[in-house]
Amino acid sequence: MAVVPAFLMVQLSLAHREVAGLWSPGFELTQYRQLATPLFARIMGFSLMLALAGALICVSLALPAAYFITRMRRRAQVAWLVFLLGSLSLSEVLIVFAFQVLLSTSGTLAGALTTVGLLAPGASLYPNFPAVLTCLVYLLLPYVILFFYPALSQLDPEVEQAAATMGASRLSTFTRVVLPMMRGQILTGVLLVVIFTFGAYLTPLVLGRPPQWTIAIHINNAAMGAGNLPLAAAYAVSVVAFMVALLVLTRVLSRRKASEA
Amino acid sequence: MSLSPGVLLRQGFLALIALFLAAPLIVVVSVSFNATRRMSFPPTEFSLRWYRAFFSDYGWMASLERSLTIAGLAALVSVAVALPITYAIWRYQAKVAALLAGIGGALFLIPGVVAALMLSAFWGVTGHVGRLENVVLSHAIVLLGIPLSLLMVGFRTIDQAQVEAAYTMGARDSDAFRMVVRPAMTPYILCAFVFVFVLSINEYLIAYMVAGFTVQTLPIKIFANMRQGYEPTMCVAAVIFMAMGFSAFALMSKVADLPRLMGRTRPLED
Repeated sequence: MAVVPAFLMVQLSLAHREVAGLWSPGFELTQYRQLATPLFARIMGFSLMLALAGALICVSLALPAAYFITRMRRRAQVAWLVFLLGSLSLSEVLIVFAFQVLLSTSGTLAGALTTVGLLAPGASLYPNFPAVLTCLVYLLLPYVILFFYPALSQLDPEVEQAAATMGASRLSTFTRVVLPMMRGQILTGVLLVVIFTFGAYLTPLVLGRPPQWTIAIHINNAAMGAGNLPLAAAYAVSVVAFMVALLVLTRVLSRRKASEA
Repeated sequence: MSLSPGVLLRQGFLALIALFLAAPLIVVVSVSFNATRRMSFPPTEFSLRWYRAFFSDYGWMASLERSLTIAGLAALVSVAVALPITYAIWRYQAKVAALLAGIGGALFLIPGVVAALMLSAFWGVTGHVGRLENVVLSHAIVLLGIPLSLLMVGFRTIDQAQVEAAYTMGARDSDAFRMVVRPAMTPYILCAFVFVFVLSINEYLIAYMVAGFTVQTLPIKIFANMRQGYEPTMCVAAVIFMAMGFSAFALMSKVADLPRLMGRTRPLED
């Protein structure tokens, strides 16, 4: 039930496209030839850039946040976990909608920025690149914090105490002791953000303009709008291939880092 | 602890993170209690009229009911699939089960839109299009990684010595299951169910691509309305989602050891 659809998708990407959203089985590379265009490269490049920017922000916020949370008392920790799980599970539809309300011209944020003079009167805070990026960070932050949580809570407090007795400040303990131990986790966290960003559909659609559309929107447009399932499948296969390549890359990187350490 | 600059900095940082995560939610909740039809924040006049409008609207209620049905069934299916798999791994170290678990976990790593496309192609080929059960099964499969990992955490907490003791005292597999495994696992099964339920009820893209034209779930309906312009009842729907999600996880924290469930194995004092 899980493997069959995957094979089907590869088959579909090689199939022959017929009119009116139909297709017949075949083996042709027409769809892939359509992908070998600057447009596709640009979409992939933009998706990757967005993903890496999101990953940078998420990881640099999530790492200290998760670290502080793991060192709290039980009650506070549980409260944070409930809060994070609750916001993590909220539908992308809702978050995008909430951001729309928050960023709208009649909203407080726009009003405040206009009063301060940072924003021209009547100007909107979306659709644009910062809006897409902020919303993605919002969606991913709880996810990444919870991803770092197990590893950070496993760190032996004695190691940090040892560093402290040897005269290390809290900050240098964090950067010199905790961060190196988390290298593999951090790389995987970046990968998670990248995977999610490539799959994100609603955020760039609603909060961005066409230049900010990620690969997911183009897949969906090909499948649902143009009725060209084989092309959508070819897009999807390329994305998965790209993900696998990234996965292998992070594995190699974290192994090399581990052997250096 | 004294209020050193370091502590202040830390608290301030965490407060900012919490504010960032809470801000959109606060806006939506307060707008939903607003009396005017216009989207204005801060709200001018308190009113429950959009709540009344929501609960007396046939379309919204039908979507809500449909979403609840799908989420309940999807959670049931995925837990029912994950339980024997994890049990077989724990009890017999079964290789096949481990492979199945690997596939289930890998599915979780596929970008959402790709999973949605795969599943919609699958249902298209089987000729079984636009049905409610498509969404149920699709959600159950894509979210399978969650019950798999939560139940594995649960099984690991069971003391093997206790199970061995039960066997030495002449217990059969079914007795051991009833006396040792079931009581230990009940909170984890419950949590896995709640987790899948909450994620399924919030899921948009897969539901949309698999059966969006005929089966309008709550997120699909919210999004459809969003494209037509703003309407205050949408905020009410959003508030219902939040209330369900947060209370589900709050409940979970009462039933089970939440830090442990999220992967902490080091003991945590109160």
